[in-house]
Order: sequence, then structure tokens, then C-alpha cells
Amino acid sequence: MTTPVVQLRAITREFSGSVAVDAIDLTVERGQFTALLGPSGCGKTTTLRMIAGFLPPSSGTILLDGEEATRLPPERRNIGMVFQSYALFPHLTVEKNVAFGLRMRGVPAAEIRTRVGEVLELVGLAHLARRKPKELSGGQQQRVALARAVAIRPSVLLLDEPLSNLDARLRVQMRQELLRVQRETGLTAILVTHDQEEALELADSMVILDRGRIVQQGPPREVFRAPATRFVAEFLGYENFLDLPGRGPITIRPEHVGVLAPGQKPPPGGEVVEGTVAAVRFRGTDVAVTATVGDRVLHAISTDDTLRAGEPVRLHLPLARAVPLAGDDGDARPATSKQQECPA
Amino acid sequence: MLTALSALALLFLLGPILLVVAIAFSSGDTVEFPPPGLSGKWFTKALAHQPFQDALITSALVAAGATALALLVGVPAALAIQRRRFRGRRAIEALFLSPAIVPELVLGFALFQQLMVTLRITALGALLIGHTVLLLPYAVRVTGASLAMADPALEEAGRGLGAGPLRTFLHITLPVMTPGIVSAAVLSFLTSFNNVPLSLLLNGPGVSTLPVEMLHYVEFSFDPVVAAVSTLLLVATVLVALVTERLVGFNKVFSK
Repeated sequence: MTTPVVQLRAITREFSGSVAVDAIDLTVERGQFTALLGPSGCGKTTTLRMIAGFLPPSSGTILLDGEEATRLPPERRNIGMVFQSYALFPHLTVEKNVAFGLRMRGVPAAEIRTRVGEVLELVGLAHLARRKPKELSGGQQQRVALARAVAIRPSVLLLDEPLSNLDARLRVQMRQELLRVQRETGLTAILVTHDQEEALELADSMVILDRGRIVQQGPPREVFRAPATRFVAEFLGYENFLDLPGRGPITIRPEHVGVLAPGQKPPPGGEVVEGTVAAVRFRGTDVAVTATVGDRVLHAISTDDTLRAGEPVRLHLPLARAVPLAGDDGDARPATSKQQECPA
Repeated sequence: MLTALSALALLFLLGPILLVVAIAFSSGDTVEFPPPGLSGKWFTKALAHQPFQDALITSALVAAGATALALLVGVPAALAIQRRRFRGRRAIEALFLSPAIVPELVLGFALFQQLMVTLRITALGALLIGHTVLLLPYAVRVTGASLAMADPALEEAGRGLGAGPLRTFLHITLPVMTPGIVSAAVLSFLTSFNNVPLSLLLNGPGVSTLPVEMLHYVEFSFDPVVAAVSTLLLVATVLVALVTERLVGFNKVFSK
């Protein structure tokens, strides 16, 4: 078993009285892609900045490659950071941006040239080496930022919402690009994001934060299928929260709730409830239906585009797909499915 | 309609200047328009006028010296104001910008009282100090603007890539600020060079700046010599502005 690349022990950060990060323990294994996921203000960026050394923790210990690094300045941590704004040096060309970290390390000029060439090749920007950052598109700038961070062969690649400044389509494309670069370089990566899809698609391990604490962590499939608390469930797109007699609080995804056509026989298992359509949102391939059943509101996804608000509706709740929830409060049970090694 | 208004505005702005240029090339002996004929004799006379020569040297010395001093104080101040968070940051910023708000004659009179009457500083020294105070707001504002436009994560990026604080400053912060510093220097130099109110109060025997000397000249004579000097100054100013624009993009600093 190799030494973990990053270990946080009871890391806390306070800002003038309020606690942004509250005694977080986190271990990141070599080669693993970890995503810190949570709404804004949950402490994910603060955590990343403490790992990078831009912000000293109020208390706790940071180990990098097994060595004490809590008070080490950023320039002595060997981290590769990709900023949300990219932070490309505007006065330097693409290749000089990428070479910067190597120059600061006193790498011989010939080797710098080779390595810069390799890294630009890796992100597909070799032909733009002589351009200035402002002459590039957003996606290209993003790649330069990634290349610059990768070029120094960091112990850990820190990604602070790296795709959030790209338009929706490009963002989705760049995810795979990011993953490919991480896999090809074999680098350990920590991604900070508020985008659950991004975390699900990229991470080997997903860490969900709420108000400065880790509320759940584990492989994305595991966390997605079994959110431990209502907070995690809501964040991952579960919309129906029920308290069934004898079963306790459960949640069920809107995609799993069936809208039954008049006269249609419900599939076996589960419960059928009758209510009224409150609203229908057209989403292209399907519609999102909101229905009131008694004093309760349920959400379903249906392909039936003829549904209209005010009409009666029958909904099928497949209880086999329902996920039992722990206590409603985020800190009732800091449930952790033990973090797993990256299988790849 | 808008085009007509623009043309009118342009006429108001450029009209008087063109008039001065035309008069500078006059062959007549008084300021009159249109000039009776063309000649370059007023330029020759202006250049040969001893008080103008002395005043030009004084002006250049004061402008260069005050610009250097203002940048020496203003650049670190701009850095602190833009990049640090400290108690009283706003107050410090306001203090540095205040000379731009106080009427220059008031500023000049205050400095005259303190520097020349109380402290008995020479006219040249007083001019240098007075102009430095006058230029501080420009130095802080313009260099500050270039910093404010730059991504604050740049310095962190430098640190993360292995450059310590000093190397980060030399390799990143300073180059990013350079266009702002050059613009501030040019603007400061021109502002000092063209200043009248301060220079009017802070002068002494045999020491005065070119604009003040020109003012004295028109009090006593009405020939086109001053028009010729004005034209020369105009050409020099335009040249400097053009070169600066070419070098660093003068406009960028103002069109934030």
C-alpha cells in the first residue's frame, strides 16, 4: 500500500468567527480522481485552497506525500492548480505559460522545450504555442491552464471549478478531455465542483460537503444510488421525499415514478396513488410533471406530452427503487461508505 | 442629427487649436486671423527667447523628477490598495486621490505657505514636491487600474508553479503592471508639464515653468511667439501620446 498523496486531518478554517471548513478528514490515494462536491459556501474551495497552500488552516494537519505540509508555502508543495479563471499569464505566450513552472524549477532549457512540446501535444494545442492567451478561445485557454499545471508533474492536480466558465456543450466535451489527460498522465486529481453530473462522470471518489463538513463519500455509483441524507439526495436530484408508515423516511427519483395512462394496469410491486397534475414542464424528449396527492407534492418524468395541469393523474411509486434515508439533518449521521481504491 | 452634433463638438474642440496653429505660422506682427501671410519667423524667435529656454529646462526637470517620485510612491501604494486587505484601505485610497479633488490653487497656496515660507525650501524643490503631490492620484489610479483589470489569481498561479513571492513579483506582477506604469508615467509627465496653477504659486527668482513663462509673456506682448510655442508643445504632446499608444495601448488603461 503506497502512501496517500493527500491526507487532511481535522482541518478547520474559520473566517472572522464563522466556520467555513469544520474538522475535515480526507485521504486521497495515488492516481485517484476525487471530486469535492457541494453547493456554494459548503467549504469545498476553501479546502482546496488549503491543500494548495494559499490559505493556512486555523487548525488541523495537512500531509502531502506523507510529509507534514501544513505551513509549507505553495511554491514548495509541488501542486498543479487549474483556476476557475485559468489565471494564464497575459504577457507570456502559450508555450512560455506552460514552461513557467519548469523555469522556476531550474529545468535545463532543452528539457523544458521537450516537455512543453509533449504537454501541448497532450492537450492538442501544439499549433498555438506562440499565441498569447487573449488570442485563444475559452476552451483553448482552459487547455493551456491544464497543460501548465500538468507540465510540472505535480504530486496532485488541483482543479477549482475548471469547466464552469465554458458554455454548456463545451463543458460536457471538456470533461472527457480532462479525464483523458488525468488517465494518460496518471496524476492524482482533486476536483472542486458544484455540478453533480461533472462529479459523477469524472470521479473515482465523490466527497459531498455541506456547511464545512463531509456528509457522504464514496464511489459515485454508490453515493448516487444510496444517498445517506436528505441533503445529499436533494443535491443529487432526488425530488420525492416520503415518510411511509412502517418504512421511515424514503426518497425516490422523479424518473422512477411512473405516470399511468387511463386504464393502464400498474406494474407489479409498489404503490399507486391518485392526484391532480399541478404543473407540466416541457423538457424536449420528456415532460416533468408535478402532481398533488392529498397534501403531498410528487414529481415524475413522463414521455406523455398530453398531460395538462388540473387533470387527474395516477402515479406509480416503485418502492423497490426507494432509498431509505437517515435522519433528516445533515449532521445526524456523517455516513461514509469507506473510500475505495481506484479500480482503473 | 447625431452626426451634426458630433461635428459641432469637434469644431468646438479643434477650432481654437487650429486657430493657434494658423497664427503661429503668421507673417504678421500681432495675433490676427486670418494671418496676412505665412512665415516661420515666430518659431525662430520663440526658440531663441532665453526665458523660454530656461523655463523649458525647469519644466522638463520638474516633470521628470515629479513623475519619478510619484511613481516611486504611487506604484507600491496601488499594489497595496489593489492586492492587500487591510484596515483603512479605503481611507488610504481616498487620501492618495484627494489632490485631484482639492482645487489646485488651494493646494498651491498651502504648499507655498508650508514649503517656501515656513520651511524655506527653494522654488525648484517646492515645484518638485508640489508636482509630486499633484501627480500622485494619476500614478495610483492608472497603475491601480491595470492591476484591478488583472486576475488576482495570477500571483497565486505563479506561487503554485514554484515561484516564491519575489520571483512572482518580478516575473508576473511587474510585467502585468508595466503598461499601466508606462501610461501613468506619460500622463504624469504631461500633466506636470502643462500645469499652471501650482507652478504659478511655487516659483521664485529666475525659476518658473514654461506655461507660467508663456503666461507672463502674453501679459506684455501680443505677438504670435506664444502661438508658436503652443504649436511646438502640441506637436510634442501628440507625438508622445501616439508613441505610448503604439507601445502599451494608452486607451486600454482608460477604457476599462
